[in-house]
Amino acid sequence: MTQNDSDHGHDHDHGAHDPIQASDQLSEFEVLERAVRELAIEKGLFSEEDHRRFSEWAESIGPSGGSRLVAKAWTDPDFKERLLADGTEACKEVGIDWLDPTGVGTPSDYTYFYVLENTPEVHNVIVCTLCSCYPRPVLGMSPDWYRTPNYRRRLVRWPREVLAEFGLHFGPDVEVRVHDSNQKSRFMVMPMRPEGTEDWTEEQLAAIITRDTMIGVALPQADWTASGPPSEVKANA
Amino acid sequence: MTQYQYGIGDRVTVKDGTTLFHTRTQAFTRGKTGTVVEFRPEWVIPEDEAWGRDDAERGGRYEPFYVVRFRQIDLWPNYTGFDVDTLETEVSEHWLEPAKENQ
Amino acid sequence: MSPPRSFDSVAGRVADLAPVFREPLDSPYEISNELYAALRHVLHDVGGQIDLPLPFREKPEEQWEMDTYVTCECLGWRGAWNSEERRRAENDLGATLYFGLPYYARWATVAAKVLINKGLITPDELTAKIDDVRARLEAGA
Repeated sequence: MTQNDSDHGHDHDHGAHDPIQASDQLSEFEVLERAVRELAIEKGLFSEEDHRRFSEWAESIGPSGGSRLVAKAWTDPDFKERLLADGTEACKEVGIDWLDPTGVGTPSDYTYFYVLENTPEVHNVIVCTLCSCYPRPVLGMSPDWYRTPNYRRRLVRWPREVLAEFGLHFGPDVEVRVHDSNQKSRFMVMPMRPEGTEDWTEEQLAAIITRDTMIGVALPQADWTASGPPSEVKANA
Repeated sequence: MTQYQYGIGDRVTVKDGTTLFHTRTQAFTRGKTGTVVEFRPEWVIPEDEAWGRDDAERGGRYEPFYVVRFRQIDLWPNYTGFDVDTLETEVSEHWLEPAKENQ
Repeated sequence: MSPPRSFDSVAGRVADLAPVFREPLDSPYEISNELYAALRHVLHDVGGQIDLPLPFREKPEEQWEMDTYVTCECLGWRGAWNSEERRRAENDLGATLYFGLPYYARWATVAAKVLINKGLITPDELTAKIDDVRARLEAGA
């Protein structure tokens, strides 16, 4: 049976962000899913080809989609305007179609995508208190912590405490704006472009626009890419 | 053409109606007053969608939805952040009523 | 002086040791309106409830979890259910299962249950298939 460590959370000598490890036993959950899938296919509820196609799409999505959107917005003011005016439509310009892979969108992500622009006055951060709604087409699968009742309970009421746990601190002049995505809209944060990146290419910029910066629990750092931490942790301004 | 009962900038209060079995109108917004900041399209209401009535053919009722912005100090007793902080969430029209004048 | 990691593991254990005053709810004749309101609170509506800081962990999707996600979405894609029915079904599991099952285990559980509720599969078909799949996977492993 697959276990995470939350039932013995205090026992294990884990660092705060160590990934949860799966066990080697055959999981009863795996058996259940397989059974449901086989029955569903036998009954004609969907086809094996449907499952394969949707799986392919699910494997193809990831935060690089969102990174490309933000990097393009940072370097192209007209695109930025289009992105903020109609997120769903603007995604097509970087090859993301919110109607994929079914032609009418996904059952859980819908097709109403909005980008939230961070400014010196406003810091945006996203949660779904009711479940774990997340903009999968542009960010891929949600982080495990994003789905926990813990994050869902706390971010809306103690946002600055939760952000502090992620290493972010803002003064009283910055409006921390929490977006509880409780309906069909899906959101992504457009973080502010850090200083020192003025002559960077879109590709170089995309590399520092990590998943967490687009949820709103991190800020892009000029020396922190999606694939590695900075050589020296910098405090945010 | 969607008819919106409320306009951008309107002060609205989330109704504190009895809730049974399912809702997407969070308890922490009930009875709270905020400002309409954006329109959303007409969507099937979760009270229908959650029971399979997810489009007009299946008897799903459509309502305009709104983005409502609240001040955190209005949502929570002893809010521990700063006065500038806000929270935005989406509410369907039948869950809203005009804010009382003095709010 | 113990290093920080040992402190947390001991302190955590200490926090878990506490006296319990049991007040079993076993079909009481009377309960207060306040308790009734708490009992009928829609489970997933957790925003603002008090909770303690816990480490925010990463967990890449295992294959069965991706398969579960895709199976649920395919059921929605081809019309067996919609996502809001799935979410309500997760609430209908009740607090023990809602909070006790891992995230995708909830998805798999409600997929099975809703298909039965809708008469698309029968419970015995499901359990027979589960036994069959288990035997196959154990043999193949």
